This record gives sequence, structure tokens and C-alpha cells, in this order.
Amino acid sequence: MILKRIIVSNWRSLLNDVEVGPFSEGLNVIHAPNGTGKSSLFEAMRRGLFDAHHVTGGEIAAVQPWGRDLTPSVAIEFIEGDETWRVEKSFLSGKSAKLLRLEGSTFKPVADGRNADDRIREILSAEAPGRGVSKQEHWGLAQILWAPQGELQLDKISGNASESLKAALGVQISGESGGQIEDRIEARFLEFFTRKGGYKGGKNAAPVVLLQEKKDDLAEHLVSLREKHMTFEQSGHNVEDARQRRLQARREAEALRETVVKTRNSAENYSKLKTEQNNKRETESLVKEKYDLANAKQNQIQDRRESIAELSKSSKDQELKLTELKKEEAQAKDALATKRTAQETARGKRSQINERQKKIETAREYLQQTQDLEDLNKRVTQISELQTQQADAKKRLEKILAPESKTIRDLRKWIGQRDQAATALKASQIHLAITPEKAVEVENATDNSKTKVEAKKTLEISGDDWVDVSVPGFGSIRASGPEGSSDEHRSQLEKSSEKIESLSQPYGTDDPDKLQDLRDQADKLEGEINALENRITDLLDEDALEELKKEQVELKARITETEKVYSDWKDQPPVLSKLQSLYEELRKGIEDAITEAEDAFEKAQTRHVEADKALSDATAEQKVIQGQLEAANRELADLTSDKLSDEARKKAISEALMSWQAAKNAAEQAEEALKQYPDDPNKELGKLEKQLLALEDAESKARDDEKTAEGQLQTLAAEGTYSKLVAAEEEQATLETQIEQESIRMDAIKLLHETVSENKSRMVASVSAPVARSATRMLSRIVGPRLGELKLSGDFVPEAIRPEIASDSVLLHNLSGGEQEQLYLVARLALAEVLAKHQRQLVVLDDVLNATDSGRLARLLNLMEEVSDRLQIIILTCHPERYRALEGAEFFELK
Amino acid sequence: MIRFIHTADWQIGMKASGLGSASQAVRDARLESIERLVGIGNEKEAQLMLITGDVFEDNAVDRLLVRKVGQLLAKFKGKVFITPGNHDPLAPGSVWEHPVWEETSNLTVIRENKPIELENCTLYPCPLKEKYSTKNPTSWIKAQDSASIAIGMAHGNVEGLPDVEPDFPIPQNAAETAGLDYLGIGHWHSYSPYKDREGAIRMAYSGTHETTKFGERQSGNALLVEISKRGATPKIEVLPTGALTWHSMERTLESPGDLKALINELNNLNEPDKALVRLRLSGLLFASDREDLESIGEILNARFLFGELQAAALAPAPEDDSWLEELPVGALREAAETIRQQAMRGAEERDRAVATRALLELFDSKEKVAR
Repeated sequence: MILKRIIVSNWRSLLNDVEVGPFSEGLNVIHAPNGTGKSSLFEAMRRGLFDAHHVTGGEIAAVQPWGRDLTPSVAIEFIEGDETWRVEKSFLSGKSAKLLRLEGSTFKPVADGRNADDRIREILSAEAPGRGVSKQEHWGLAQILWAPQGELQLDKISGNASESLKAALGVQISGESGGQIEDRIEARFLEFFTRKGGYKGGKNAAPVVLLQEKKDDLAEHLVSLREKHMTFEQSGHNVEDARQRRLQARREAEALRETVVKTRNSAENYSKLKTEQNNKRETESLVKEKYDLANAKQNQIQDRRESIAELSKSSKDQELKLTELKKEEAQAKDALATKRTAQETARGKRSQINERQKKIETAREYLQQTQDLEDLNKRVTQISELQTQQADAKKRLEKILAPESKTIRDLRKWIGQRDQAATALKASQIHLAITPEKAVEVENATDNSKTKVEAKKTLEISGDDWVDVSVPGFGSIRASGPEGSSDEHRSQLEKSSEKIESLSQPYGTDDPDKLQDLRDQADKLEGEINALENRITDLLDEDALEELKKEQVELKARITETEKVYSDWKDQPPVLSKLQSLYEELRKGIEDAITEAEDAFEKAQTRHVEADKALSDATAEQKVIQGQLEAANRELADLTSDKLSDEARKKAISEALMSWQAAKNAAEQAEEALKQYPDDPNKELGKLEKQLLALEDAESKARDDEKTAEGQLQTLAAEGTYSKLVAAEEEQATLETQIEQESIRMDAIKLLHETVSENKSRMVASVSAPVARSATRMLSRIVGPRLGELKLSGDFVPEAIRPEIASDSVLLHNLSGGEQEQLYLVARLALAEVLAKHQRQLVVLDDVLNATDSGRLARLLNLMEEVSDRLQIIILTCHPERYRALEGAEFFELK
Repeated sequence: MIRFIHTADWQIGMKASGLGSASQAVRDARLESIERLVGIGNEKEAQLMLITGDVFEDNAVDRLLVRKVGQLLAKFKGKVFITPGNHDPLAPGSVWEHPVWEETSNLTVIRENKPIELENCTLYPCPLKEKYSTKNPTSWIKAQDSASIAIGMAHGNVEGLPDVEPDFPIPQNAAETAGLDYLGIGHWHSYSPYKDREGAIRMAYSGTHETTKFGERQSGNALLVEISKRGATPKIEVLPTGALTWHSMERTLESPGDLKALINELNNLNEPDKALVRLRLSGLLFASDREDLESIGEILNARFLFGELQAAALAPAPEDDSWLEELPVGALREAAETIRQQAMRGAEERDRAVATRALLELFDSKEKVAR
């Protein structure tokens, strides 16, 4: 397409009709200041060519001039192919569309309204936008060739533009019908698959997915059906098992019943025999008892008689023994009394030991008190002496009037200052020394005094500022002295002297050394007094002297008391060791005696106790014998109460013995009869009856189990589990077949799609390479070799650059703004050149190189000049001066 | 003289796998065949109908089926004797506990190995009580001393059959050994007679009354057996009872147009509404045959009770460049060539089938675009 002219009215800021053109077929620059309407002009061109005249919405409403109800209109004249067209379009309230073709020398209408909209798009290979205004993807080739302000970046090429590029490159990737077939293959693929190649899910799921889901659901159902059918079969087994168990239990029970009957009979026989045996044994036992009784009685009578005889003899012997024991006991008692007396006597002597011990204690105390008193006396004496010394020292101290050390220090200081002042004064005065050769009288005018000076004697006269003397016969001498104040020194001297006087006056001397002597003496005395004080304190040991004296008195009193009792101690103090040894001796003797007496007493006591016990025992024994004798006599009387003679009893015994023998034989016979039974059949009968009961229970339980299993079986049988299973398995088989068939179909669709896509990509890749090379060359002319190779996608969109020094491609957003600008511009120009292979194409650049520096801009302008052989280029800018270097460019100022 | 129907292996309620929506129709046909058989039996004035096992596919079939069978058999004018087989053995919960057997007066389900004396013959039945056994079910039969015509009823595997488990083994000379005039057996679905030493057929599998699967020969029949007297050679007539026809067809394509003959063949099959057709194609698929192939698929889907086309073994003919020439030059043609190579040389049959199908999809898309 070549643009001839454009007329815009009522479009944003363009109120009056604005006509721009006729444009050159090469380079054109439309320039105006900001806000004048350059971009609006470009926008009007796009809306006029690509948007329906009846489009509504905010975007088209915005083109109406602010605050006005005017109809935005645009008219565009352009050449496409061999024909020249004119489009007249108005929007919003005055919407209309008209397409005219230049026929001869006039434009004749070709279409209007929607038809005009459609025809225009057809001519320009554009696409209808659907609702709302058109977007770049609807512009056909213009999406490559026209760059609105701020939209130089080329992100995507859609629709037929891509095919046009490929067609222009002369490569038949698919052709028109091929493209449709590919579209159908793509649509078919997307009908069942996502773009990533997985099956679609959800409500648009691929049939194979739905079938698989159905199969999965069915699988769960099948599991439960199979389980149920297995349960049915298992229930049949359970019924059979229970039936078999029941029958088996019944058979065993029947077999066991016979045994039980037999055993019961045996048990009854056994019981009879046993009873007989017991009876006979009982009889035997009774007879024997009778015999035993008779025998025993006879024996007892005999025993009693013998016993009575023995007991009588024992009783006599015991009497004799008792007599002896009584004698012994009396003797022991007497001996005991004697020993008791001796013991008491010996114990009585113990008091002597206590007395002796007490004396020793008293002696110990006495000695201690004596010692204490002695020590106390010494102490008190010492304290007194020290106190006397201390008082004496204090008196001496009082006599000494000694200055304090500080006073002496001050005195020394003032004496020093005085001497200094005197020296300074002298130094500040004038001194005149006169040593006459003969005696003279010197008159001192300074103080108006006269002084006689002997020959060869020196008279010194001093004055503060001057000295004025006169010597008769000689004259007067005046000497003036140094500068400086003698008064100050004199004043200091006086002050010092006063201070010295005040400090030393109480002590009668101002000699610091003497004063120091006094001080030393005083210090020494004070030290003595303190030392004495310390010793006194040590001796007192926190006791008051009065208390010590009081203690002395007490000790003396105690000592005196003790001496009253032991008067010999006064002269001869007791010797503790001696007293102790005497005590020990006495104590031992007494204790030994006591011990001996106690032992003797104890022995006597033991003998007495034994004798007494023996007597008691013998007495008790005698009583027992007597009792036994009485009892034996009574028993004998009982046993012989039947008044039978011994012979009669013997006869009865013999008869009883014979009866017993007979009964015994009978019992043994009964026992013999029982031996045919090794064991009591009743025991076995009990076990057998238990077993039988268990078998009957087992049969009953098996019957119950059988009934339960039968019930379960019948329930399951009524459900027809097999038929349900069969239906489900058939369905599963059908699904599996369908899934396999569908899988093959899906795989086939996917294989087809992938194969076609791979082939296309390969072909497109080979096609886009030349365009990429062309763009790379242009780019390197502008920016140099730094960016390397420009990479395009299969749809010719710039993707990345591949610098020579980099191993990987670099994405475009990593470039600077200016380089991106230049890159996208050359990409568009390279693509435009491809499209312009057979027909000149229009390139529109709306304010696109703002980030490009002058150097690169110049190279870009060179490039534009070159491509303008094949392309019509329209540049919209507010900086026309930047483009003045363009050779052959037409400039249009928008007013 | 005794004339009776010998039949077996009705397998009522059986699974018809892989037949899709025709499965139920196949099962229903088996019930219809019973009705037909009863009709034939009445027509032939058969006195007895001896059913030697596997009336039902399983003891857990739907009880409505059991009642239906009972009701159908009640229409037979003679007496019906049934010996349970290994699919429907006399076990707890079996179909034989259904009240219909007691309700139907002409019908006896035999439950014991005990001779049954009838007016003109004595039956020696061998009802099975479990699914598996290695015991010869006929071993108890000692009919040598029988005065009347001795007819045995058993179910099992005749010894000597190849690749067969020894389930309920029946010796080939069982009829002779047991002293039977005729031993009717069930288990195998094809009619198989067994001759004695004198060449007389005294033992036979009747086969199933309605074919159960593709490739099952000599099935869909019952036997009409007539024995004139004790010791006489039985006269056996095979009575077709089956309604469905099962066609398993394999064809190899070698030249363009081969499919046309096949289409004719399919169209000429009788009673298509009762036909089950499985067609397996292999060989070369020419581009010009695509439509015929599609037609065959449609015929199989629409015309028959069941139709299945297995074309996985078809591959595009390597010398047929029309596969490619019809396509626009460019990516499509190159893609078609790639796919064609895969269809011819793919490692697995499935891979080849997928590629062939992809090629057909490509052409389908082309044709739809052309329209």
C-alpha cells in the first residue's frame, strides 16, 4: 500500500479539516509541536482503514474533540496493487463509510456502510476485530509496517501477516489449502489435547479420558461385584462345611450313644457290686468292732489292775521322798538368812568410800582456791604498781609545756620566711661599708645618726633607696640603690617576725630545735602513759579492779571455811595424790568384801530355791499318783460293772472273733467280684456323657451355622451375583476395546499434529534465517558488531541476540532502551523489505527514535534512505531538525 | 423304542465378552433357542428331553433366568430330565434349589447317582455336585443286567482330548463299559460322536444349542436320538437349533480395490440382524481404498447384530505415492511421508496402526477442508 493523502476533521485536537499530502513514494516527515495532532492523524488513518464505521465504545468516543458533539471523520487515498482507492469514514453519531475507486480521473463509489468496511479490510488483508476497535493483530501487514507512538516493539505477528511474509519469501510451507488443513489438524488436536500435549480434562475432556474414568469407576464396582460373587461361592462352601460338620457330629454322636449305653450298664453293675462290697465290709467292721471292744475291755481290766498295783507302790515311795526333801529345804533356808546378814553388813561399809571421795574433792577445791587467790593477788598488785607509774608519768607530762608539732612546723616556716624577707630586704637596700684608716665620726643623714668608726673597722650603713653619709674632713657620700620595693620585703619581714613571736611566745623560746626537744619529751611521756594503760587493761582483762578485789575477799572466805573443817591444811596443804591412793585402797577393800558377801548370798539363795522346787515337785507328783490311783480304781469298777467273771469274758471274746472272721471272708468275696472292673465305669460314663453333649452341641451349632449360611446364600443367590458380574465385565471389556480404539485414534491425531508441527517448524526455521541475517546486517551497521546475531522466532518476531563473545543468547529486555529501539526498527525494516518484494509498502514511524543518539540516528537515516527505494516511509516527529539530513525527504508541517 | 432329545451346555446367563451392546442379544438368543428346541422336540414327538449339564453358566445367575428356563421347559410335552454339570453343580445355593423345578411337573432335576426306571427305558444319571473332580462320573453305572434300554447321562471330558484338564474324565468306551445303549454327555460345545468297537455311535456330545463364540464349529444343535430296543444301534439326527451366525473373517489386501469384493461379501451375508461378524484385515492399504475401508466400518457398525473391524495390521502401500501426491507441497506432504514410513516400518504393530490411522486422519482433514 502507498499512501497518497489523508484528510482528517473533528479528530481529537484536529478540529478543522487537516489535509496532509500528497506524500512522496519515498521519505516523508510530518512534523509539529507536541499536542498538535500528529499521532491523532496516524490514529485516524488506522481507524479509517481497519475499524468498522459503526464501532462503539469508549475508545472511539474518545476521538471526539473534547466538549464538542462533532463527527470525527477521515478520508484516505491510497494505492494498493494497481488501483487507487479512497476511503471516507465518519464515526459516532454521524457514522458512515464509503469506499471509492479511481476510475479514469474521478473516484467512483464501490461500497458503502458495512460493505465498505469489509472491502477495505479485504484489500489490505486485514481482519475484522469483532467487538470494539481494532488492535494491531487485526491490521494485517500494517502490524509489521506501522509503529504507533511507544509501540515500536514487535512482540507478535498474527493472522495472515505471517503467511504473507512466508509467501513473500517464496516458501510454500503449506499453501492456502495447506494452511486450512493445518488449521483443521490443529483444531482437531486442540479438541482433545491441551497445548502441552496432555489430554483435556473437565467438561471438555477427551473421550478416552472419559472412557478411562468410566472404566476406573467400573473397576471399583467390579471389585465389589467380584467380592460378592466370591462371597456367594464361599457361602456355598460354608453351607456344605456346616452340613458336613452337622452330619459328622450326628454320626459321631450316634456312635457315641451306643458306647454310652454300654458304659451305663457297666456302671450300674459296678455300683451294685460296690454297694454289696460296702455292706459286707460294714458288717465285717461291726463284728470286728465288737470283738475288739470285748478284747479291749478285758485288756483294760488287766491293765487297770496292774496299774493300781504300781501306783500304790509309787505312792509309798513318794511319801518317803517328800520327808527327805522337807529337811533339805529347811536347811537351805537357814543358810540363806545367814548369808543375807553378811551381805548387808558388807554393803554398809560403802559409805566410807563416799566420805573419802568427798574429802578428796574438797581438797582439790581448796588447792584450786588457794592458787586462784595467789594469782589474783599478784594481778592486783601489778595493776596498782602500773597505775602508780602512770600517775607519775602524767605529772611529769603536765610539767612540760611543749608545743604541738604543727606549731613547730609553722614556726619553722615563718622563721624561714622571715629570713628570706630579711635577705630580700638586704638585697633590696643600699649598703655602704666605710672602713676608715683612722677613727672618724660618720653622720648618717638617712636616719640622722652619728657613728664613730674606729680605724680599720668597718661601718655598714644600709638604706632603702639611698644612703647619705657625711664624713668630716672628707665630705658626703650618697649612694642610690637598685630599683624595687624594700617595703614589701620589710613588711614581709615584720609579718614573719610577728607570727614567730605569737607562736613561740608561750614557750619562751623561738628556737624550733628546742621546741622540738620539748615536743619529743612530751611525746615520750605520752607513749609511756599509753603503754602503762595498755598493760593495766590487759591485766584487768575486762574486769573492773573493784570486782577483782571482791573476788579476792570471796576466795579468802572459802579457804577459811575449808580450813575450819580441815585445820591441818592451813599449815600443811593436802596432797591430792596421797589422798587418792588412800581412797583407792579403802574402796577396793570394801568392794571386795561386798562382792564376796553377795556371791555367798546368791549361792545360798539358789540352793534354797532348788530345795523348795524339789519339794514342790515331789508334792505335786504325789498328788498325781494319788489321783491316778483313784482314777484307775474307778475305771476298774466301771469295767467290772457287768459282774462277769474273767472266764465268761474270755468266752465272749472268742465268739466275737469267730463272727468277725466269717464277715471278713464274705467281704473278700465281694471284692473279688469287683475286680472284673479295672476302673469305676461311672468315671468313664461321665466323660462320655460330656462328649456326647458336646457332639450334640456341635451338631446343633453346625445346624445353626448351616441355616445362617443357607440364609446368606439364598440372599446372595436371589441377587444373581454372577449375572451382575457378567454385565459389568462385559461393560469393562467393551470399555477396554473402546479405550484402545480411542487411544489409537488419539495417538494418531497427536502423531499427526506433532509431525506436521515439527515439519513446519523446521521449514519456517529455514525461512526466517535469511530475514534474520538481513536484520542482523542492518543492526550491525547501526550499533556495530557488539550485539552479534539477531534471532527471530518462527513467526519472525525478534527473540534474542547472540553476541559472538557469549555462549548463550541474550534476551532483548537486557538491552538498553536505545538499542532496543534500533533493533526493533531494523527488524521492521527487514520485514518490510521482504513484504515489499513485489509491491512497495508503506512504513509509518510515529516518534520512535527518542532514545537514539545522534551518531546512530545518522546511520539509521542512511539506512532509511537506502530502503526508501522500495518502501514509502512516513515519519511523525516533533523534532524535524533531526531528520533534515534525509535526502529527498518531503517535510509536512501540521498546523 | 424310545425317542428323545439329547442336549446340553445351554450356558444360560453366560458372559458375551467383546460383543458390546450385542451381549444381551446373544444371551437372549440362547433363551429363544430353548423355545425353538422345545418346539422341535414336540414336533418330533420326542418322549424325553435329556439335558446333560451346564444348563446355566453359573449357580449365581439371575433367578429370573432360572424361572424362564423352567417355564420354557414346562412347554415340552414329554418329560425333561436334567443332570447338573460343572458350571451349575448340585451345591448349596445352586439354581436347582429354585422352586420352579418343583412347580414344573414334567421336569426332574436328578440329584443322585441312581437308576431311574421309566416306561421304556432306564436312565443312569451322573449329576455333578462340584465344579472340579478327577473322578469318572460314570464309574458307578452297571447297566449290563438292565432289561430295558439303558441310557446314561453324564458331563465331563472324554479322555484322550489334547490339552484338556482331567476334569470329570470319561473313558471313550464308557458306554460300552457301563453296558449302556447310549451315553449322552455334555461339556464340550461342539457336536462330537464316539463310536464303539462295532462302529456304532453310542456316546456323543450334543454340543451347545446356540453357538457361544467365534470359531466354534458344529454348535447350535441338539440331537434327536432313537433307540428301537435294548442293544440296538441308536439313530442320531442333528437338529439345528441355533439362530445366530458367527462369522470370523480374515482377509489380506494386496491390490487396490480388494475391499470392494469384501463389501459385497458382507452385504450378502444372510440374516444380518442375527449375524455376528468379526473382520480382520491385513496387508496393504491403498489411498484409493480409504473410502471403501470407511464403508466397511460403517457396514459392520450398522448392518449386523455385532460387527468388528480389526485393521491394525493394515499398512499403507509403500509404492502408492498417491498418499502423498494428493497433499499440498510443504510441511503436510513431508509430514505424510514421515508418517507413512512409520506406518510401514514401526517396531510394534500398535505403532504402525497409530501411524496408519494418523495418515487416514490427515486425509480426512484434507477432504473436509476440500468440502
